[in-house]
Amino acid sequence: MLYALMGLGLSLITGILNIPNFAHGALFAVGAYLLVSTVNLFGNFWVGLVLAPVGVALLGLLIEYVGIRRLYKAGHDYQLLFTFGLSLILAEGIIIIWGPVGISHLPPAILRGGVDLGFTFYPKYRLFVMVLAGLLVLATWLFLEKTRYGAIMRAGIENKEMVSLLGIDIHWLFTIAFALGAYLAGIAGALTAPIRGLSPGMGVDMLGIAFVVVALGGLGNLLGAIAAGLLIGVAQALVAAYWTEASTAVIYAVMALVLLVRPQGLFGIR
Amino acid sequence: MKKSTILILLSIVLLPFIVRPAIASEIWIFAIFGLGLNLLLGYTGLLSFGQSTFFGSAAYVAGWLLKHYAINVFFALGIGVGVGALSALLVGYLCVQRSGLYFIMLTFALNQLFYFSAYQWTSVTGGEDGMPGVPRPEFLGVDFKNPLNYYAFVSLVFLFFLYLMKRIVESPLGKILVAIRENEVRAGAVGYNVPRFKLLAFVIGGAFSGAAGVLYAMLFGIVPLESISFVTSGNVVFATLIGGSGSLYGPIIGSFVFIWLSESVSTLWARWPLLLGLAFVMVVMFFRGGVVEAWHRLVLKVNAFRN
Amino acid sequence: MSQLKRRDILKVGAIGAAGAALGFPGIIRAQPKEIVLLGLWDQTGAFADVGPLNDRGMKMALEERGMKILGKPIKYITRDGGTQAGTSTRRTEEAVDAEGAKFVIGPWSSGVALAVSEVAKRKKVVHLFSGGTEDISGSRCHRYSFQWAASPYTAAKTVVDNFMKANPKAKRWHLLVADYAFGWSLEKYIKEVGKAHGIEFVGADRHPLGEREFSNYVQKAAANRPDVVVMINFGGDAVAGAREIFNFGLTPKVPLIMSWSSGVEELVQLAPEIRDNLWVGTNFYYTADTPAAKTFVKNYQAQYKLPPGYAPSAAYSMTRMLLAGFDKAKSDDVQAVVKALEGLEMNDIVGPMKVDGTTHQTLRPYFFLRCKPKSAMKHELDFADVVATGNAPLPKEYAACKDIGSF
Repeated sequence: MLYALMGLGLSLITGILNIPNFAHGALFAVGAYLLVSTVNLFGNFWVGLVLAPVGVALLGLLIEYVGIRRLYKAGHDYQLLFTFGLSLILAEGIIIIWGPVGISHLPPAILRGGVDLGFTFYPKYRLFVMVLAGLLVLATWLFLEKTRYGAIMRAGIENKEMVSLLGIDIHWLFTIAFALGAYLAGIAGALTAPIRGLSPGMGVDMLGIAFVVVALGGLGNLLGAIAAGLLIGVAQALVAAYWTEASTAVIYAVMALVLLVRPQGLFGIR
Repeated sequence: MKKSTILILLSIVLLPFIVRPAIASEIWIFAIFGLGLNLLLGYTGLLSFGQSTFFGSAAYVAGWLLKHYAINVFFALGIGVGVGALSALLVGYLCVQRSGLYFIMLTFALNQLFYFSAYQWTSVTGGEDGMPGVPRPEFLGVDFKNPLNYYAFVSLVFLFFLYLMKRIVESPLGKILVAIRENEVRAGAVGYNVPRFKLLAFVIGGAFSGAAGVLYAMLFGIVPLESISFVTSGNVVFATLIGGSGSLYGPIIGSFVFIWLSESVSTLWARWPLLLGLAFVMVVMFFRGGVVEAWHRLVLKVNAFRN
Repeated sequence: MSQLKRRDILKVGAIGAAGAALGFPGIIRAQPKEIVLLGLWDQTGAFADVGPLNDRGMKMALEERGMKILGKPIKYITRDGGTQAGTSTRRTEEAVDAEGAKFVIGPWSSGVALAVSEVAKRKKVVHLFSGGTEDISGSRCHRYSFQWAASPYTAAKTVVDNFMKANPKAKRWHLLVADYAFGWSLEKYIKEVGKAHGIEFVGADRHPLGEREFSNYVQKAAANRPDVVVMINFGGDAVAGAREIFNFGLTPKVPLIMSWSSGVEELVQLAPEIRDNLWVGTNFYYTADTPAAKTFVKNYQAQYKLPPGYAPSAAYSMTRMLLAGFDKAKSDDVQAVVKALEGLEMNDIVGPMKVDGTTHQTLRPYFFLRCKPKSAMKHELDFADVVATGNAPLPKEYAACKDIGSF
């Protein structure tokens, strides 16, 4: 589910802005760390959960406005360089502010412990994350499908020129899209914090997975990203049952396979 | 002799007196790596984000042979080139059909697969721990364990590969690759088999990467797992961009900058990647075209000011 | 074309000046009268949190002597190995060549240490290391490297024997192993020692160093219905693993053994509920009852609030061991110090220690602890009681170090 969230956010950004956002993992990490700080500040997990992703979204807004804006005409290589440089700055910034040591963060009291599901014992917090992430994905999808702004965004993925010809300010579209993508990354990070603990490098693995999800789902295909995210999560769990070490590698293997056979991804149109 | 050649020769001679021979060797090795990448990135317009696949594979194979079969350094180098080229042939064949972001992601994904294989195959590669104990056997009486001797060897190899790359980019092949970068559709329309030329560029790039990988393994006496990781792939791309992908010499300058940053600054401040990140951001915002481009612009400005 | 020439020469000049000025460390060398000690401690990478702890321990031991030994000043330098073999070996070589370091302590990761050990052999510098791989004093032994930590055999024997004394019926064991040198060594011996107790190893899964997503491993472990779960990993991995094992309800019903733990630093990150039915094997625990430990723990805690775990203690003790070597050799010549370390006996924070001259393995006690439930904790740092210590040395038939070699 978390993979779907990350993939959705990244798909939005790559789809609308056509930029390989290598900072997406770092935004994920920032979300997690902001959660810890806001929870420490306000003493309440739920407040933190609301505020932290907003913080990341604001960060995204700033990044887009100051930096990414200038890069739309630049080639992918420079976009990559820029976002990667950004990810370094963010990761090191995390270390400077929060220290290089991994932090543990427990879930809120009511979500601790587990539930006996009969065939297995499952932690309550993970169930909560699944449900919430699912709701978020649903909400985002509804926004994109049913609202006017969502329609504008989807149109923006399809054909930017047309959208701007229709009188819509394309720059604001990009900014909002990036901020929304950042928000999704941020909340994914905040939700993950109690599960995996925090460390400054936590974004790196997530970044790779996010790209896989986007590639599988088809660049710019938002529904595809959701489906791919779920698929990858399931595939990973299945493989882990038999060959645990391969569970991360299988993600890349699947991606390579799919891209070779169907370069537009499982659901892509182009 | 061209002036740039004189400059390079001067640098080669002076460098080991400014920095340790080991670091100097590393700079030229990384430059070879960058030259190979730049044929793809700068000349053909292909952002290959998986060059470490060839670098690392060559290092592991040659390292293994050096350790267990006592081959000599030239043979090791040849093996490296061969393995690099072959793995690039495989990867390239799978990748050249795609373009844009898909291409980048595919090279990355295949890189990850190679990484995982190296990680798992611990009996050969040592997995996480790497493959230590790579020797530098002496050849014809030359003791390569001496850092200066090895540096001389590395510089000669570098000069050879630089010359090779120069010939390639100035040849018709080079022009075709540029044409592909400029307008792939038209190049195809004119009659060039675009995928095949891309593949050729890939193989050449892979050969260069392989050579660099072997030299690297012999330099440090170890093939670490990082040599096949996406981090190394990223490093060579970034170093090349910083130096300037638009020129033959860009990767060389990029290698200088990058190695300097990672060796020197890192001992001063543990948070040096922050500076690296800032450098990247600055290059994109203000110095696109890298150091080479910035230098050209500066010279133009100075001249304009004079006149 | 002459334009090209001018700016080219400017370029070379610029490189030279920049390099020299901004200090590729090739210019400044240590004064010949100084003794340069290198602490190869990770500030980045998987063990980024351990590096600063190691640094504390080493610094404390050096400061006890006023940063002097044999009447000469000590220059203590650190380098970030990045928990990576390539970076660590490069930085070690740089420190040896450029700074004149002849004595290296570290790194923390066993796999990386094997690579650094090769550098020590090549460069002929003294190398002390604490870690779980048996190879440094085993198949890869040589005259320059010394192992401070207990042999993984000793650790396995202490943990398994004492656990079985308390839980004789726990015959089905599941192992969770970090996938590199340290994990492999300890896994091997736990299985060996376990055989003698009739233990059945129902599962053994390996995970990459730095893993944080343990849910799949835990579910697999649970499926095997073990009597005991044993983790052979360290630091952040162990903390993450222990937490997941608890979250999925495996513990506290099933006991969890952290076989090679950093002690305090890991335990403090686990909530008291997770520590219920947790058994810990470690190279040092702060309640160790030796005079050296008491002083060290008091001073450390005064400075850093928490008592020291395995990481800073190992650095502290290794440094003291090295200093004792200097004392015994009455010289800072590398060969003399090596010879002095061989057979060195001293009472340090873990108790009586002796360095085996033929393998360079330190023979010393290993600690086995049982963690306390919240109700039994007398104060917030009272995590566990030392149940036993063991110092059974590696039997000769397992010894892979046949010849420590010459200089």
